Amino acid sequence: MSDIKGILIIGGGMSGLTSAIEAAEAGYKVSIVEKNPYLGGRVAQLNKYFPKLCSPNCGLEIQFKRIKNNENVTLYTLAEVVNVSGVEGSYDVTIKVNPRYVNEKCVGCDACAQACPSERPNEFNFGMDKTKAAYLPFDYAFPFRYVIDEKSCADNCKKACLDACKYNAIDFNMKQETINLKVGAIVMSTGWSLYDAAKMDNLSFGKAQNVITNMMMERLASPNGPTKGKILRPSDGKEVKNIAFVQCAGSRDENHLSHCSYICCLASLKQATYIRELYPDSKAQIFYIDIRTPGRYEQFYWKVRDDKGVTLTKGKVGKISEDPATKDVIVEVEDIAAGNKIKASFDMVVLAAGMVPSTKESTCGMNIPLTDEGFVNAPSLQKGVYAVGTLKSPVDVARSVQDATGATLKSIQSMVRR
Amino acid sequence: MAEQVISPDLNFVKDIIASGGDTLKKCFQCATCTVVCNATPNNRPFPRKEMIYAQWGLKDKLISSPDVWLCHNCNDCTKYCPRGARPGDVLSTMRQKFIQENAMPSIMGKVVTQPKMTLIALAIPLVLFLLVLGLTGHLRTPEGQIVYSKFFPIPYIEAVFMSAVGLAGIAYLASLYRFWNSMSKGNNQPYTKGIVPAFIETLIEFAKHSRFAKCGPNADRRIVHMLVFYGFVGLLITTIWVTVYYYAPKINTPIALSDPLKWVANISAASLLIGGVLLALNKMKDKGFVSKSSTFDWIFAIMILLLCITGILTELIRLAGIATLAYPIYFIHLLFVFYTIVFFPYSKLSHMGYRALAITYSKMTNRDIQI
Repeated sequence: MSDIKGILIIGGGMSGLTSAIEAAEAGYKVSIVEKNPYLGGRVAQLNKYFPKLCSPNCGLEIQFKRIKNNENVTLYTLAEVVNVSGVEGSYDVTIKVNPRYVNEKCVGCDACAQACPSERPNEFNFGMDKTKAAYLPFDYAFPFRYVIDEKSCADNCKKACLDACKYNAIDFNMKQETINLKVGAIVMSTGWSLYDAAKMDNLSFGKAQNVITNMMMERLASPNGPTKGKILRPSDGKEVKNIAFVQCAGSRDENHLSHCSYICCLASLKQATYIRELYPDSKAQIFYIDIRTPGRYEQFYWKVRDDKGVTLTKGKVGKISEDPATKDVIVEVEDIAAGNKIKASFDMVVLAAGMVPSTKESTCGMNIPLTDEGFVNAPSLQKGVYAVGTLKSPVDVARSVQDATGATLKSIQSMVRR
Repeated sequence: MAEQVISPDLNFVKDIIASGGDTLKKCFQCATCTVVCNATPNNRPFPRKEMIYAQWGLKDKLISSPDVWLCHNCNDCTKYCPRGARPGDVLSTMRQKFIQENAMPSIMGKVVTQPKMTLIALAIPLVLFLLVLGLTGHLRTPEGQIVYSKFFPIPYIEAVFMSAVGLAGIAYLASLYRFWNSMSKGNNQPYTKGIVPAFIETLIEFAKHSRFAKCGPNADRRIVHMLVFYGFVGLLITTIWVTVYYYAPKINTPIALSDPLKWVANISAASLLIGGVLLALNKMKDKGFVSKSSTFDWIFAIMILLLCITGILTELIRLAGIATLAYPIYFIHLLFVFYTIVFFPYSKLSHMGYRALAITYSKMTNRDIQI
């Protein structure tokens, strides 16, 4: 098999990880190119999975361990694919790797962060808190190695970090590198980003302090999140006892995302259980156009619906405003079943924002056929390049993982059949 | 709930789709429209329910509904509609259809409102005027100073136009009565206010155009509508005033430019012209979302402009003393005046009465918004 080239996996989220492990464990060389300083992608930011309501960290940590112990895997973090040329079986790939300023000697002792005087907004928590300029992305991050945000770290900060590190793990001389790889097949698993909720001027995200997105809610509810798992509202840190979920915040909307993002109904139902479990006297109200919980997920919907603390109201929220005195959030909606326009006040409002395929940001130096919505038009992809999971359409984690396994098989077949 | 039998009118659905409401079926009932609308009541708001009634062909429910007329075509709904269903345009098309449906005699509603009938509608006064002037030997350019009554004597004008106003008035009142009946019977809501105070409130609101102030993305329409509205009001006053002058102080046309009557007349004409031009420009303006005006609306805008421009030219050319041009222009102007009056009950202008009744009814049934 020595003449067979490796597989390039672009994106180290749940799909990319799965694809990489499946190929590596089948004996193929893989290179993972991940933009972030850590693996795990969106899944790493989630508090719980639906419908089982278990934490994603157990599954992720198993995947991390499998990767760590497999010598077929080469990992590039803080890296992006900038150019791809060639044909099926023989691709030349150019990647740019940004400096981490922390080398492999790092043991994760936290001394640099403790000594570091500078802070930066924590994008892992959607800016809801800050980290030091020398930081670990999250508590079980893989690779388990600190990162330094050089832009936020002035000379005194650099000095403090260097002085604090006993292991010579910090190196400010690191430069951006360009690396050329030769691979036989490419798996694109660059995933999705959340639709910018501020674009919906009527929903007041960014204007009303206690209007957050569904991904922010995951971080708020996570034990390793900015509030250590207590759901506290941003304006005054009050416990959230009365919450509203606004479905289709941007999705199924020609002015924003014309597609249904598939997971948001289940995500909101799931998040309603977070608050109901945390504060038994709390209430949650979900405003929707249609509740879309396909297949077996229907049973999860029934379970949440039957909770007396949860109200489901048919009607899309058209206006959101803030009570300037209390910072409560006022939601305006037509209760379609009752046929009346209502104004209701909540401690906090969660916008069920949708999925934007990462092709909107980059197609990794390749000419990728796209659908009108910007997803990868998989049947038109050239042979040798395979797209996975949420790149093709909005899907949940389980289906992404299945799809990733399938993509691995396809890329192996692509290389073996010549 | 008791069993309810509904009888869908499929032709109505097709008709709405063909006449400007082509996006009707795109609506998926999310109710964004009812929330972003500032002109809709909290109790049974529009236009979401109107969209589904129209999709289902429930014409009876819609024709007797005040809500179709409470809509002022602000287009907040169309701007925020996630489906491009353009509720503003669909409701506008419904109003056009209900003008036709309520029209008395029904045949006029069906015939005159057809865009392709516009020229035939204009041919009626043409033939009539040619007959009147021809038979009385007036079909020529009079000598001397330009005095329009030398060409079309006042008694003839009165005979023709008084009967036109009379016929149109009767037809219009009958149409409105038909609408009021179907609305009050169809909705059967208890009254909390008498018709007279409710109607007076409505007229005051009209004078101030306060409901238009609620419009979001289309706020300019308040000014435009006011200019056209007050232009017409001013010209109506002028017409009555001229008649009073003719009979009481025996002041004949042409009336001196310094006369207050002439001030009112000229300011009104200018207001109508500016309003008409802005109306047309506003229709063509890119508002950042798609909204289409139907042919019915366009014909109305064009007719208003032609009426106004020929009227202003009639005066200007008379002042310039070009007799060979003045009398023909005056003749053409009269065609448009006749058209506007006689076909008033079937044209877009007739929305005034329907809207007044719908607002009056919503005030009487305690369903009106805070203006």
